[in-house]
Amino acid sequence: MSITLDQVTKHYGGVPVVNDVSLDIGDGEFFVLLGPSGSGKSTLLRAIAGLTGVDHGRIALHGRDVTHVAARKRGVGLVFQNYALFRHMTVAENIEFALRVRHVRARERSRRRQELLRLVALEGLDQRLPAQLSGGQQQRVAVARALAHKPEVLLLDEPFGALDAKIREELRRTIRQVQRELGITTVLVTHDQEEAFAMADRIGIMNHGRLLEMGAPHDLYSRPATRFVATFLGAANLLLARRTPDGIQMGVSTVAAAERSPDLGEHEVVAVVRPEEVELAASRDALKSGYLARGVVDEVMFSGALESLRVRLANGAQAPLLAHANGAAGASLQVTRTQPEQRGFEVRPGQEVAIGVRRVHVLPTPLSSFTACAVSAALAEALSRQPLLAELAARMHTRIAPRVEPHLGVPDAPSATDEPSVGATAIAGGSDCSRRAEWLLRRGAREVLVLPEQPAVPQRVLIHWMGDASRSATLAVSASVLRHVAAEAVYVSIFPEERAGEQRHGLRELLDARSEAQLAHGLEMRTELRFGDVASELARRLAEAPAQMLIVGLSDLAGFAASFRVLLETGQWPVLIVYRASP
Amino acid sequence: MSFRKASILPGFGLTFGFTTFFLSVIVLLPLAALTLAAASMHWSDFVHVVLSPRALGSYRLSFGASFLAAAINLVFGLIIAWTLVRYEFPARKLIDALIDMPFALPTAVSGIALTTVFAHNGWIGRFLEPWGVRIAYTWLGVTLALTLITMPFVVRAVQPALLEVQRDLEDAAETLGAGRIYVARRIILPTVLPSLLTGFTLAFARALGEYGSVIFIAGNLPMKTEITPLLIVIHLEEFDYQGAAALGVVMLVISFVVLFAINLLQAWGRRQQVRAAH
Repeated sequence: MSITLDQVTKHYGGVPVVNDVSLDIGDGEFFVLLGPSGSGKSTLLRAIAGLTGVDHGRIALHGRDVTHVAARKRGVGLVFQNYALFRHMTVAENIEFALRVRHVRARERSRRRQELLRLVALEGLDQRLPAQLSGGQQQRVAVARALAHKPEVLLLDEPFGALDAKIREELRRTIRQVQRELGITTVLVTHDQEEAFAMADRIGIMNHGRLLEMGAPHDLYSRPATRFVATFLGAANLLLARRTPDGIQMGVSTVAAAERSPDLGEHEVVAVVRPEEVELAASRDALKSGYLARGVVDEVMFSGALESLRVRLANGAQAPLLAHANGAAGASLQVTRTQPEQRGFEVRPGQEVAIGVRRVHVLPTPLSSFTACAVSAALAEALSRQPLLAELAARMHTRIAPRVEPHLGVPDAPSATDEPSVGATAIAGGSDCSRRAEWLLRRGAREVLVLPEQPAVPQRVLIHWMGDASRSATLAVSASVLRHVAAEAVYVSIFPEERAGEQRHGLRELLDARSEAQLAHGLEMRTELRFGDVASELARRLAEAPAQMLIVGLSDLAGFAASFRVLLETGQWPVLIVYRASP
Repeated sequence: MSFRKASILPGFGLTFGFTTFFLSVIVLLPLAALTLAAASMHWSDFVHVVLSPRALGSYRLSFGASFLAAAINLVFGLIIAWTLVRYEFPARKLIDALIDMPFALPTAVSGIALTTVFAHNGWIGRFLEPWGVRIAYTWLGVTLALTLITMPFVVRAVQPALLEVQRDLEDAAETLGAGRIYVARRIILPTVLPSLLTGFTLAFARALGEYGSVIFIAGNLPMKTEITPLLIVIHLEEFDYQGAAALGVVMLVISFVVLFAINLLQAWGRRQQVRAAH
């Protein structure tokens, strides 16, 4: 491996900007770090270069641990967005800089310079000053300069950001060519997904400091695992659907999923429909693909090869809900159509159409949406405006549905509706919330989020489960939550006091949990081992620092309300309970 | 030679007109009056005044101390500017504002304050006295006063230039294998050198004309700690306007030569850079 990152973490002012990133980049690979601005991708690149220290974790280049090695001794070449050429030096002096520092002889320097200038197609410009070159030429000089000392790794930080489209394309090709010719391991940082697709052997997508997913461009595009990747990598329509034995049920219609899922239980899922997988026709019968709903064309935009449209779904309970736009009426579907499609069926704004879906991809995320549950409509409405819940829903592009349960928490009282619980059910904290949580869990809720009055967006998420039945679900839910908040994950393992002697056993369990989180859910977490009563140890840990959240897995509800009463009813921390009954 | 060739921007005639008008009224006319006053002297009188041992001593002190003060500020002003630009610390804004204090303070106040501190029984002076170091009433005191008065010039001239040195440049140099000192010498210094020279020039020019703060700390012994501006004032007080004008002209000529030389040096430096390009 050329570059190995192991749990690299970097904080600025207490906020993790790079959060537990582990990554292997192979020899000669062209790896692209893609993410929105502020996602931590540039910081990660600077950490690899050695310009930013890391708080935690390890960085190795070609098997050599360089975590504490200065940038100038790492043997990397770095190219900046704004070229960062030395303006008082000529092109030749710029390129030879690294060689001059190393006291390479003049003749050897000039030979190497000629070689590099040929490589980036700038022969004969040796004696120019940077100011006399165009942006594209300056960046070529910067690439040549970064390669002069034959680094083992080339790092490119948004190198095309300051260039216009045509030059950009040309330079992309040059860089890819140079990279192939030299076979040098390269990491490119960009926020431009088109650029990532064009250049990458493999793409890693970052958000909130976490490396969410990585893979070949095509795999990531067709089978994203997270809603962030689905929407960031190209456009995507997110729909809330139900997984049934027959397929994916969206509103009235059921469509076969693109791939089979091992999970057979019927529950709400998030479905991804790419704009190009949507078909429009005059009527339901004219559709060649599975019917989704009727809709009205809101907007038609011609953009050369493709036409992009927004189609508003017809109102009514039968229409599938879009996961974003909070399920409100007026939510519209993004559609793109090719020229042949446009010729086959021309549409104008205002026209009513039948909508079909060619391909549906279901995200494996366990948190599809939220339900705000309270004893009255007014309280449920108030709860759905609770800042942390609203923030989470917004970040997850999902909706908050209200649910009124007049007998919430009253033992033996039935649920007010026959409808099953949908998504994670949120309830207000305070007195009686432990009984209410148990009440909901006993009536089919799979996840219950207990929200105190004024919780902060968490900076640390503690994870714990009791009973193996809930382990996998707890890890999956934790991974899903942590993709949307910039928090560090800590798995807290707790043993009863009297078993303190069995520490070795506890450590093995910790490591198992960590590797399962990593392998199955892409979740990097720290681990802690504690001894004592579970609920009181967790409460003590939560009280240690502000802005913490607890995710706790249960497989048995007996005695839950009693033992968790203090933790749930007195703390200012949100608690997400994941319940999966033991078989 | 055509004046219009320099730029294709419109409005050259108008702005050039204003420039010459203001320069004439505010700078050139008073200077011309000064020269005229001196020119009405008899040549031998003029030589007698400007080459008297007392005058020569004052030139030496004025130019020497000014040069030294500007040189001291060149070094420490750069360090102060660096600290203010590069580091975050609690009282940064406050210290940044303090830099301009020598501008705002009446110079006489600065002089009196310095004298209080550095006199042989002052806060600092009393500790230097046993070592045989005397600052007040010596040329050291003059230099000290001039250093204080001209300190803002270098700091304020260099600050924007330092801000402009992109951190990326240093990062780039570092990844290419350069150490800290190499980066400072080869990357940062060349970038701020022009503004450093500008700051030096301004400080030097200001120090030459300084009067108020110096007379309190200098002691004003003829030949030893008497600066030229003071000598001019002494001539004035004796109603010897011509003598004063003569000394003024000498200062004018020497200052102009020195400043012009520094300007040439800067222009030469710029040309060197451009020539490297072809």
